[in-house]
Amino acid sequence: MTMKKRNEAPAEQTEGQLTRRRLLTWLSSVGIFGSALISLVANAFFIKPRATYGQPNRFSIGKPEEFPAGTRQALDGQRVCVIREGERVCAISTTCTHLGCIVAPSETGFACPCHGSRFDQDGNVTGGPAPKALAWYKVSLAPNGELEIDKGVEVKSGTYFNV
Amino acid sequence: MARKISLSALTELPGNIWNSIFRNPLPSSDLGRAQTSFTNFFLHIHPVKVNRHTLKPWYTMGLGLITFFLFVILVFTGVLVMFYYVPSTNQAYDRMLDLRSTVAFGTFTRNMHRWAAHGMVAFVFLHMCRVFFTGAYKRPREFNWVLGIVLFLLTLFSSFTGYLLPWDQLAFWAITVGASIAGYAPVVGEQMRFLLLGDTTVGQEALLRFYVLHVAVLPLVITLLVAVHFWRIRKDGGLSRPPEAESEPGLSKETTAKVDLVEKPGEAFVTSAGKKHFGIQGLVRGPFTKVGNVPDNSVFAWPNLFMAELFVLILTIAGLCVLSLFFDAPLEEPVNITHPPNPAKAPWYFLGLQELVSYSAFWGGVGIPTIQVLLLLVVPYLDRDPRGVGRWFAGERLLANTLFLIFVIVNITLIIIGTLFRGPNWEFVSPW
Ligand code: HEM
Ligand code: FES
Repeated sequence: MTMKKRNEAPAEQTEGQLTRRRLLTWLSSVGIFGSALISLVANAFFIKPRATYGQPNRFSIGKPEEFPAGTRQALDGQRVCVIREGERVCAISTTCTHLGCIVAPSETGFACPCHGSRFDQDGNVTGGPAPKALAWYKVSLAPNGELEIDKGVEVKSGTYFNV
Repeated sequence: MARKISLSALTELPGNIWNSIFRNPLPSSDLGRAQTSFTNFFLHIHPVKVNRHTLKPWYTMGLGLITFFLFVILVFTGVLVMFYYVPSTNQAYDRMLDLRSTVAFGTFTRNMHRWAAHGMVAFVFLHMCRVFFTGAYKRPREFNWVLGIVLFLLTLFSSFTGYLLPWDQLAFWAITVGASIAGYAPVVGEQMRFLLLGDTTVGQEALLRFYVLHVAVLPLVITLLVAVHFWRIRKDGGLSRPPEAESEPGLSKETTAKVDLVEKPGEAFVTSAGKKHFGIQGLVRGPFTKVGNVPDNSVFAWPNLFMAELFVLILTIAGLCVLSLFFDAPLEEPVNITHPPNPAKAPWYFLGLQELVSYSAFWGGVGIPTIQVLLLLVVPYLDRDPRGVGRWFAGERLLANTLFLIFVIVNITLIIIGTLFRGPNWEFVSPW
């Protein structure tokens, strides 16, 4: 019964009042849904961390002497493999480009235990589902004489640092 | 003042308290039971009467109901486990060990939680298959099918977030792989991965985020959507059934009143005899289970439906208890972020995806699953043929059922390959 009544405009109501009611309805709807939308965006910003607590991108690994020529040493904690050939040093990522497992050095280069991707000595894909080569990171000598790796800076494959 | 508290108030106290809680005595007639199922909060989710077809055990097989009961058990055991769990990378694993060794019934509770979680994934899938093979998604139940798909995805996501919490090797590497898959989504992939993990790799932030999603956000959303799912069942006219299930078996065709479902508010029922039936339902839009005013093929929900539900509940609890007594939930080595297990496998229901992912990360992890979900979502909007509703494997639905069967078989085959036939380095091994 009441539903019927609400749909019929009472006789004394004029056009102007109806329009005002409609306008107010519109304004408040836009206000409510607009605020909901804005708060949604704000929430997205809220849950996106500004600072992360994980490992720093830049870290030192020790003096060059600790890595004699011919070294191929995987630092699993830092997820890089330090390679020294003669006087040249480079750092290749050991995070598989497929789905993020840690690749292990093998005779032919690197192999991933998760879905069987294989890489050559320079990190180029030689088999399996990995879509691209392992990343090379910037290596430099810090003022204190230690080698420093910056995982924030990727360098072209084949870029060595001369010690 | 003290005079006012008469002796009778004291002697009647227990009775008065009882009556204030239970407004009516335990009903002893059909009418009383019908009234009680209408006025009792916990019973009013049910219709007062249900069609006989709905009660046929082999029609629904109680699959949706089992899924629901497993969810309730998950909430219950999950809250219990929460009393001991700490979402910290330093403590989580030790808490798992404590649950095993020092907490009374700790192992059993954890087992129940774990097996119910696996069970819910399995049964939500079986329920979806039942709904498809009986054509139950057709008009007017399209949207409930869509809600169902969302519930299916939420169930998978709940289980995925729960998987990380023990912080063992299995957990860490499965989530590392899973989160990397999210990173392959076009445009927003990397952002999504970062939001999910709260960091660039799986660590403390990820553990906390997964915990919050697992114990608060997802259960709340699922509870809400399950409520809407159930509400829609009622408003869509009860469970699907073939047209012939509407009429009472004893009545001949001519005397059976055919009811035109009311499509517009304010209209009345018109039976074929031309008699009009007005009622509160006349104001409600859409088809619904009608009560009492026309001959039909329904029986009272109490006791017929309630007993059936109770039976399924007891069966579910019993089955889960037996499983939890004999099989312990796995717990592997503590997390070693420098050493993935070989092979690193996701939970079984994701191994079909992992198998696909071993061919192509994008297609296996993002492309094909997205296409499958989109296809499932539009099923009821593409298949508009009203025939074959309410029967298993109806002949009229041969094409649709065959296509769906292929979808099911392909996915199960991939899961079996991923589970049994893949060994170290994801190379092919024979399980025999
Ligand atoms: C958390 C997950 C879910 C729960 C708890 C749930 C629960 C239920 C229950 C208790 C029923 C009553 C009939 C029965 O027991 O089979 C039902 C019916 C239904 N469900 Fe679900 N369900 C879930 C997910 C799904 C999914 C994944 C789909 C499909 C994509 C779906 C689609 C439907 C439809 C269309 C009906 C009506 C069936 C008919 O009228 O015959 N539900 N659901
Ligand atoms: S993560 Fe290395 S092959 Fe998949």
